[in-house]
Formats: sequence, structure tokens, C-alpha cells
Amino acid sequence: MKKWFSIALGLVTATGGFLDAGTIATAGESGSKFGLGLIWAIVLATLAIILLVEMVGRFTAVSKKPYAAAIREEFGFGFYLFPLMSEIIAESLLLAAELGGIAIALSLFTGVSWHVLFPVAALLVFVMAWRAPFDWIENGPALFGLLMFSFIIAIIALGGPSRESLVTLWRPEIKQGELADYLYLVAATLGATISPYLLHFYSSGAREEGWSGSSLLLNRVTALLGMGFGSIGSIAILLLSAIVLQPLHMQATSLGEIGLAMAQPFGSVGALLFAGVLFTTCLGAALECLLALSYNVSQGFGWEWGEGKKPVEAARFNLLIIVFLCIAFVIGILGFDPLQLALFASTVIALFLPISLLPFLVIMNDPQYLGEKINGRWTNIAVMGILLMAFVVAIVSIPLELLSGGG
Amino acid sequence: MRCIQGHVFLIICFKEAWPGRRISRNGQWRSVATGVLVFVMLMLLTGCQLAQSSFSRTTSNAGAAFSSAALTLRYVHSGKITSAYARSAFMNYQSELQGLDQKLTSQNNAPDPRTVEQLLNLYKPAIHVINQPCLDASCNWRSQLNLLMQAEQAFLKAGEQ
Amino acid sequence: MAIIDDDIFSIADILDSQLTTSDKRNIGRVADIEAEWCEDGSLVLTNLITGPQALAGRVAIPLRSLFQRLLRGRFEHRIPLEEVEEFGPTLLLRGKAMDYPVGQSDRWIADHILRWIPGSGHP
Repeated sequence: MKKWFSIALGLVTATGGFLDAGTIATAGESGSKFGLGLIWAIVLATLAIILLVEMVGRFTAVSKKPYAAAIREEFGFGFYLFPLMSEIIAESLLLAAELGGIAIALSLFTGVSWHVLFPVAALLVFVMAWRAPFDWIENGPALFGLLMFSFIIAIIALGGPSRESLVTLWRPEIKQGELADYLYLVAATLGATISPYLLHFYSSGAREEGWSGSSLLLNRVTALLGMGFGSIGSIAILLLSAIVLQPLHMQATSLGEIGLAMAQPFGSVGALLFAGVLFTTCLGAALECLLALSYNVSQGFGWEWGEGKKPVEAARFNLLIIVFLCIAFVIGILGFDPLQLALFASTVIALFLPISLLPFLVIMNDPQYLGEKINGRWTNIAVMGILLMAFVVAIVSIPLELLSGGG
Repeated sequence: MRCIQGHVFLIICFKEAWPGRRISRNGQWRSVATGVLVFVMLMLLTGCQLAQSSFSRTTSNAGAAFSSAALTLRYVHSGKITSAYARSAFMNYQSELQGLDQKLTSQNNAPDPRTVEQLLNLYKPAIHVINQPCLDASCNWRSQLNLLMQAEQAFLKAGEQ
Repeated sequence: MAIIDDDIFSIADILDSQLTTSDKRNIGRVADIEAEWCEDGSLVLTNLITGPQALAGRVAIPLRSLFQRLLRGRFEHRIPLEEVEEFGPTLLLRGKAMDYPVGQSDRWIADHILRWIPGSGHP
């Protein structure tokens, strides 16, 4: 019974925790600019993240080593620095965007400027990261994130996408001069969904919860169904933007605009539902991103780590939480719009993705860690496919960012 | 697509210019890296049909923002969003649209000065609405809505040129 | 848990391994190793080295002397190989965390920085 409860909870957590400022921003802009023409990018990114999450969960459950520790032990300190530095840069930007997303959500509820509410958001994240039990961090925001299913009800209430826009599902309408924008959103969608912080957090969470070889079913259900259902939220936002915002020539360049699509069928309750989902998903993602950074450094350097311990019992790990939160705070108070920052951070993640994902090819085939649970042939082929896609996206992401003016 | 094919053609030409050289392993990687760099540089320098001109991008983004502002104003007066939500949304439109007049006059690929002047004439009253939107029944929100919609249409039209 | 097939370990197996004490505390990772030439011509591992100087040296050799000048050897520590009770991706040490100078910065940070933040769990 307890096992099935764990599976259900894992499923719920993964579903509700899929969205964050990055996925909301990319889905909103994609729908408003290109209708249904970028759903394939969300689906492709989801398939990739399902595979990667399953692998990292399997690795950690069997080897009892978190991902960052495996990279350092398998590849050495010199190589480990590359994904570490790239993830620190990209995830600091993303953390600032998530804090901004929380502040924007609070602003939509209160009418107070998000600049003023930004320190409140940072304080809330700090308090939760500092003292909240791991269960609360992992499950709390994600449970509320299930409110995203209200987006599906909204789509049904609006009558679904128009017949003209359905065609864009397999034949995207890209006008002259818009190709750079389109490709930029593809790169940003992939970067927003296939985020290394998710892998580090998931792997560390598996250690925090004491996963073992008997947790493989839980891992598979969480990865496959959890991430799969979670992407429904992302696709729902894209559809809402396509149905409501695109005909009005809106571009969803701020997070509040995306909420207007929920206001059409449900009035003020709908808009506030969106603000609620924005709040909980950005809060969850901010905690995951912040902890992932601290987990990565602590595990890589072999320090004590863990949310289950008091802060003084894992002092360097908790000091890192404070340091990274301060870095994100400084980036945030420079005043960049959180949606634009989320898009930029997703592009930077896309740029560094090959470095972060390359270790999978080696560690998932090492019987010293995994015994007989190493990758099969088709899984390895899929990983190579994901890596190839990551390399292509990495090469074009910055030129596209410059050409498209940042989305 | 013409531009991309042009880039590929140039890359092929570049490689075939050196048919007889014995390339070492390091040299192979250097060629690949050079080819990638050339491709990226050409994408950036030409841009051509990949991206809009900066004037088109500025004006269509502005048109989209005015459209969002108009929808927000309509919604707050039909009770579809709270006034707190609308107030927050207008703060974002402010930061998006502030300084647009300077941006427009400094663009060097505008179609003609008359178009820019027309846009500026519509921008001034519209940005006043963005800075001080009428969110309750005590003021004339319909005239504000008209100003936003006029600005929206003009800027979107300019963005299509 | 890693499956160790035999008792022969290469330097690569030991470098970057986790150092865990007998009271289950993680104190750091092996940054470098020290070895001595014996009279019979064999090379014998003597010490495990931790610290930023050794790590810097693995990135680029000139960095090691730079870090040595900046830090003056304050954070470089040696653990004799005899202290290792069990080999593997995790090296299990005989003593407790308090017995080793490695990882004492955790205690310093707890006592001088974290204690001022409410909820840190400092006694």
C-alpha cells in the first residue's frame, strides 16, 4: 500500500512540477506567435527528459551515487569543472527568472510592482530551502501545480483551437523574417524542458529518500507518466495562447498577458488561477534550481549535503544555498523582465546542454555502478540522438538569440 | 532558405579550395571548427531573410504590446480581471513601451520620416494611457481604449513593411 | 554500491574518490596523491592529498603555484594511506571526522556564519 502511495505521490509531483517560468514563457510565446506550430518541440523535449530522468533515477537508485558525484569520479576534476561552471552560469540566471516569476504572480494578486515584491519572493524561497523538510519542498508546490489542469478545462470551454490553426500543427506558418524567431523558440523550448538542474535535483532527491534497486518501478512511473502528464500543462498554455492571444496579434512578452487567455472563459477566477499556478510552479522550480546548484557543488567536492540534515550539520552545502540565492537576487534586482530572463536562461541552458548530458553515455554503460541495469542498445541510440540534437541546438542558440532579438 | 543554401555553398567552396592537402587529426577538427564559425558568422552578418529588420521588429513588438494593453483595459471593465491584476499588467507594458519614441527616431532602417512621425503622434497619447490607465468607472476608459487600438493598428501595420 | 572485482586499483580509481569517515561523515574528495620511490625501484603510494592547491594543479600546473602563493598551504591536507580502511569509489577512513583536518571548514562555517541565522540548529 505504502509503495503504491509513493508511486502516486511521485507521479503527482512530477506532473505538477513540470512547469516553471521557462516552460510557461516559451509555451506562451510559441502559441501567440506560431499557433500550434511548436507543439512538436514540446513533445520532443518531453520525450528526451523522460529518458534522461529515468536514466538518472535508475543510476542513483542502483549505484547509490548522485549524478554530480558520478561525473567527478568517472571523468575527473578537470572535466567536472565544465558542466559545473556552465550550470552555475545558466542556473543562476534561471533562478533569478523563477524568483521574478514568483514576484510577478504576487504582483498579479496584489497590484504591487513586482520589483518591490522580488525580495519577498527571495525571502520565501530562502525560508523554505533553509528549514522546510525535503518532502514539503518536493511535493508541496507540485501538488498545487496540479491546478494547471484548469487550463485544459479552459481550452474545452473555448471550443478548442480553430480549424485554421490546427493546420499549423504539422505545417507551421512562418512569415518572412520570422524564421529566426521560430528556431529561437525551438532552442528555448528544448533548453527550458531539458534542464540539467532537474536531473541533479531528481538524482539527489532519490538519495534523500533512500531509493534502492526496489525503487525502479517508482522511478519509471515518475519519469514516464509524471513528465508525460506534466507536459500537458505546457501544451495547454501554448494552446490557450494560440486560441486567445494569437488572433489579437499579442506576443505574450510578459507573464501577465498569458493569464489573460484564462480570463476569457473564466473571468477573474481564471486569471487568478493562472497567477496561482505561476506562483506555485515558479516557487517549486526556484527551490529545485537552488538546491540543484548546491547539490552539484557539494557532491562534486565531496562535502556533507542534504535537506534532511540541520543546516549546521551540512554547513558548506547550506552556505552555498545562501550564496547562490544572493547571486540570483543581484541578477534579479537589475530589473530584467522575468519572462525575457527566463527565455534567455533557457537559451543559455540549451547552449551548454551537450556538456551536461555527455556523461550519460559513459556512466549509464558502466557495470561497476549499475551491474546488469546498464542501458540497452536502443536506449544508448536514443541518448546519442538527444546528444546530437543538443549539439545542433547549442551551436545555433546564441546566433538565433541575437538575430531574433531575444524572442 | 536562399541565404542558408548560400552559406552551405560557400562552405563547400571553402573546403574544395584545398583538395590536395594532407590534413592531420588536429587539422580536421580545426577545419570543422572553422566551418562552423564561418556558418555562424555568415548567419549573423547577413541575417537577411532569417530575421526582421530592427524597425519592423520594434514596431510589431510595440503593436503587440498596445494590443495586450487594449485587451487588459477591456477585460478590467467587463469584470474579467481584477483591478490589481490590470494594474500589475500595465506596469509591465510601461517597461516594455517606455523610451519607444527615442528608439524609433534612432532607427536607421525606417521606411520614411513621415511614417515615423505618424507613429510618434499616435505613441504620445497612447503611452500616456499606459502610464495612467483608467481602471475604474470614474474616468473615460473608452477613449483610452480607442487611443490604444489606433496605436496598435498603426504599429502593427508598420511592422509588416 | 560499486562492485569491486579485484584488489588492484589504479591511480585513476583513487583520484576523485569520496572520503568518508567511520562516523559516516563526508569530508571531501581525493585531489591528488603522493608517492615515494623505493630502493627496489617501485613506486609506493604514501599520502592522499586534498585541498584547492592540488585541485588547481590538476586543471593547469601554473595554477598550483598561484594558489599556493595565495593560500599559503592553509587548506592543503595529507591523509596517510594507512588511514584508508576500505577502498572503492568511496574511501572509508578509520578515524572519525574530528580526527582529520580535512573538512574542518564545515565546523568553522557553522560556528562563525550559520549560527547567526535563526533555525540553523547551532546549539
